[in-house]
Amino acid sequence: MKAAQVIMDTGTHAAALAVKSARVDVVPGYPITPQTSIMEAIADMVENGELNARFIPVEGEHSVLAAAVAASAAGARVFTATSANGLLYMHEVLHMASGGRLPVVMCNVNRGVFAPWTLWADHQDSFAQRDTGWIQYHCSSNQEVFNTILQAFRVAEQINIPVMVNFDGFAISHCLMPLTLPPQEDIDRFLPPHKPEWRLDPANPSSFSNVTMAAEYATFRQMLSDDIMASIPLVKQAAQEYKDITGMWDGDTIDTYRLEDAEVVAFAVNSMAAELRLSIDILREQGIKAGLLRPRLYLPFPADDIISALPQNAQVMVLDRNYNYGHPGGILASELKNVLFGRRNDITVKNRVMGIGGIDLTRRFMAAEIRAMMDE
Amino acid sequence: MLELRINGFGGQGSVTLAHLLAQAALENGEHGQALPFFGVERRGAPVRAAVRMSPTTIHAHSQCELPDYVVVMSEKLTKAAVSEGINEIGTVIINAPHAVAVEKHSTWQVDADAIAHEAGLFSADGPLINIPLFGAVCRVLNIPQNIMEQTILNKWPGSGERNLGAAGKAYHTVAQVNVKRAFSA
Repeated sequence: MKAAQVIMDTGTHAAALAVKSARVDVVPGYPITPQTSIMEAIADMVENGELNARFIPVEGEHSVLAAAVAASAAGARVFTATSANGLLYMHEVLHMASGGRLPVVMCNVNRGVFAPWTLWADHQDSFAQRDTGWIQYHCSSNQEVFNTILQAFRVAEQINIPVMVNFDGFAISHCLMPLTLPPQEDIDRFLPPHKPEWRLDPANPSSFSNVTMAAEYATFRQMLSDDIMASIPLVKQAAQEYKDITGMWDGDTIDTYRLEDAEVVAFAVNSMAAELRLSIDILREQGIKAGLLRPRLYLPFPADDIISALPQNAQVMVLDRNYNYGHPGGILASELKNVLFGRRNDITVKNRVMGIGGIDLTRRFMAAEIRAMMDE
Repeated sequence: MLELRINGFGGQGSVTLAHLLAQAALENGEHGQALPFFGVERRGAPVRAAVRMSPTTIHAHSQCELPDYVVVMSEKLTKAAVSEGINEIGTVIINAPHAVAVEKHSTWQVDADAIAHEAGLFSADGPLINIPLFGAVCRVLNIPQNIMEQTILNKWPGSGERNLGAAGKAYHTVAQVNVKRAFSA
């Protein structure tokens, strides 16, 4: 049996290598910083024959996702990537992909949204797509980006729901780190070829997504809502089987660090949650029983797993890299309070917004913020 | 975990230097990380990059605010680079034609411009100082010379004698400066 290979690579290139390992058929693309190097790497792979896929350059992100939807409806395994305003421009077609039950996988490299312009990471772009019916992962390392894209294809194709794999611009996308590449035969065992139950086929014409009457429309919408919730056990199964085959584990619906006996729990997503492990160590050295709970899934929000993981009487410090406009604080805090209400009245939730537009979030800064929140 | 920050000007090859150092860590059996900060990209603008090396998985994803080492790509940047933050027992490595000492900090100096000139390493932006600086930083970090050379050969297979020669010369000529002399800008 072949051994895994360790290379040094950036987050965006890790994503491109995962796409190659997933043996994707079609990749429509349009450049936007900080995602662009994913598309550049895939275009190179297609050009030099490393990846047997069709690369479709189009004139904007709305068309990117339209092409992705059409290719997926024709039965192809489809990938694309975007960031920030590119994702916002796709908004209408995001609904088409989920409502059409098309298992497209897309990376969104998180970047603050216009206006004013910024190039750097926050989480307003992906969280603003909450109600589009996509499953959303948020990743905290280069390796997790690679692993999650493969898990995302598996889950998407099992339940016919598109999956968005999010990770931070620059802090992950342009960060060079060790990356373990499992042997291709192991990946093929984990992710078998895509065999859709139904596809558009010129030899056997059928129509797709016609006007429906209210009762039919409501039935489709109910099925989508139910199936998004039903994806949770599939996400867990994908993480477990990926671990069984490759030995790698990033958590399933959630990831935790020093949580079991924690009295103070940091709650955050993406690269700041990786850095928070170091903040937790700093706080532990100061005698504070601190721990970390990172939702790896943002949608569906893993309510049951969060509720069962939180220690009794914990103070949860939600660190939001986004704004929940119209409410004080951020979106994650609102989601968390929603699931705790009536189920875990012992938990206190406190919230701060930080790191907007890529403001650097260091271990010392976040440890100090958590300490300050304890006195609030 | 060892933390290092590179301070330079756009076009000097700071990002490639950061990549080389992270790759040398892997070559040396450790974990490495290079995290450049991309500002508004233009030639001559101040740039910085974080480099980390650790025997265990690196979870940090921020810039280095209090690094153990600061690499100054151009002598002119010394004061600004150090005032951005450094561990109180941190070391400074400066590219300068003559000895420059930073107050309160152990300082090393290498003439990367002269070494690049001598080796014939040029781009449209000037001498390729990141190759000799890579050699100098490897020496200061006690990364073996064969690891340094293998890292260059892995990055540019068959790149040959000029790169290896320039990096090797810097490896052997980087010098610890007398720290008694106070820094004056």
